[in-house]
Amino acid sequence: MSEFEKLKVVTKYEFLKQYRRKRFYGALAITVLAVVLTIVLYKGLDLPGRMRIPDSPELFAMFVTSMSSMAILGAVFFAGDAIVSEFERKTGYILFPNPVKRTTLVVGKYIACVVATAIIIIIAYLMSAGALLGFYQQVPGGILGSMAIALMLACSVISMAFVFSSVFKGGMGATIATLLTYMVIFSVISSALSFAGYDPWFMPNRAADAMAATYNISFGQAFGGMFGGMNMGPMLSSSPDPALSFFVLLGYTVIFLLISIWLAKRKEMI
Amino acid sequence: MPDSILIEGLTRYYNGFLALDNLSLRVKWNEDVALLGPNGAGKTTTLKILCGLLRPSKGKAYLAGINVMEERERAISQVGAILETPEFYPFLTPNETLRYLGRLRGMSGRKLDDRIKEVLKLVRIEDWVNVKIEKFSRGMKQRLALAQALLHDPPILILDEPSLGLDPRGMVEIRNILKEARKKKTVFFASHLLTEVEQICKKVAIIDRGKLRAYDDIARLKKKYRSFERAYLKLTEGAI
Repeated sequence: MSEFEKLKVVTKYEFLKQYRRKRFYGALAITVLAVVLTIVLYKGLDLPGRMRIPDSPELFAMFVTSMSSMAILGAVFFAGDAIVSEFERKTGYILFPNPVKRTTLVVGKYIACVVATAIIIIIAYLMSAGALLGFYQQVPGGILGSMAIALMLACSVISMAFVFSSVFKGGMGATIATLLTYMVIFSVISSALSFAGYDPWFMPNRAADAMAATYNISFGQAFGGMFGGMNMGPMLSSSPDPALSFFVLLGYTVIFLLISIWLAKRKEMI
Repeated sequence: MPDSILIEGLTRYYNGFLALDNLSLRVKWNEDVALLGPNGAGKTTTLKILCGLLRPSKGKAYLAGINVMEERERAISQVGAILETPEFYPFLTPNETLRYLGRLRGMSGRKLDDRIKEVLKLVRIEDWVNVKIEKFSRGMKQRLALAQALLHDPPILILDEPSLGLDPRGMVEIRNILKEARKKKTVFFASHLLTEVEQICKKVAIIDRGKLRAYDDIARLKKKYRSFERAYLKLTEGAI
């Protein structure tokens, strides 16, 4: 049996494990709720009117699809304990003494996490597309680019969670470390760079903003009125380049995944 | 023909603590050998190294003549193992778990289906085949652990305390399964239960503080020390 065949087996059963967990449905529910709330608030509070910019399908899509980033929470919850749980919960004593390479196990788990997250992201985008059709009778083409960036963001976050999952002794620690790194540490660095006048295009959270930059509306135009003329630096005054952001996230995905494989191969069942 | 299990000068440190000290052992095909020793003697460490879960600080281990450190996947395909107190994925059923492990071991189709039924019947959990493992007791998980070890009919069984967590009936059943298995397989198992060792094996390797203290037939040790218990106590005198 080839290692590729084994990879398919690992992916299938790892996905089955993810699919049967309550957290899959929890992440799905949170994402759906976030999308619905954004739609209700956008329309109910007349956000374009308050921001003094003309309403358009592109602006609506920009707001609603950015909520798909909530799926990142799902990605973290799926991936945080993917590797470490084999050691923490001792399931590795059943899985590891099998004729399968550790690399295959890690990659299979990774693909399973990506598929589980992708399902949630795609559902969120389908809901957004449905709302666009309902309100505007059209779906901007930029939604596909936005979804591609959302999926790549999920891949990079899962990779990062895998690194922590290969290092930490507990799944909870790995999950919290991933969330803190992404939502606090990366945000602080990006904001500091932005206030200093540098565009942090190479930071994953800045690249993630490109999800809202595929609709040909500049961030300055969309968010300019929100801060009363304050200088918010390049992060809010200029849009990140979607293509560049996609490759930045791809870079993080590959590098973090390689690091996690390297670490997981060295982790022993002591 | 190479030996079933060959251990050459295995040494393992845990942060400076010497858990295995130059351990060497040779187990022939279809031999049944117990690895006996007090807590912390190095039994589980030895089995983990044999199954590729730990790397030795020094030394080599071979399964069916295949170096575990150099060709882990090929060596491990010869083995069915139970290590420590294994846990299973709570959201899967025994059927799904065995199918997953069977597929990883190269089994498929009708052959896998039949074998799953066979081993689940052997360990007497055939009525729980489609129940999620989260509902299983410790003893039932131990039975499932034995089922997965036997699933691909490996020539070598490596078992760490195989009757742990079982009720008296379960212990007798597991011992009977192992007695039957040893007719066709090499059974290498760790235990600190003298009665269990005596019932299942003819040969014993007694280790203490990582060192091999004796490797002989149980009958010969009994004769030399007047009882198996006395042999064990004498050979592990320094143990806590």
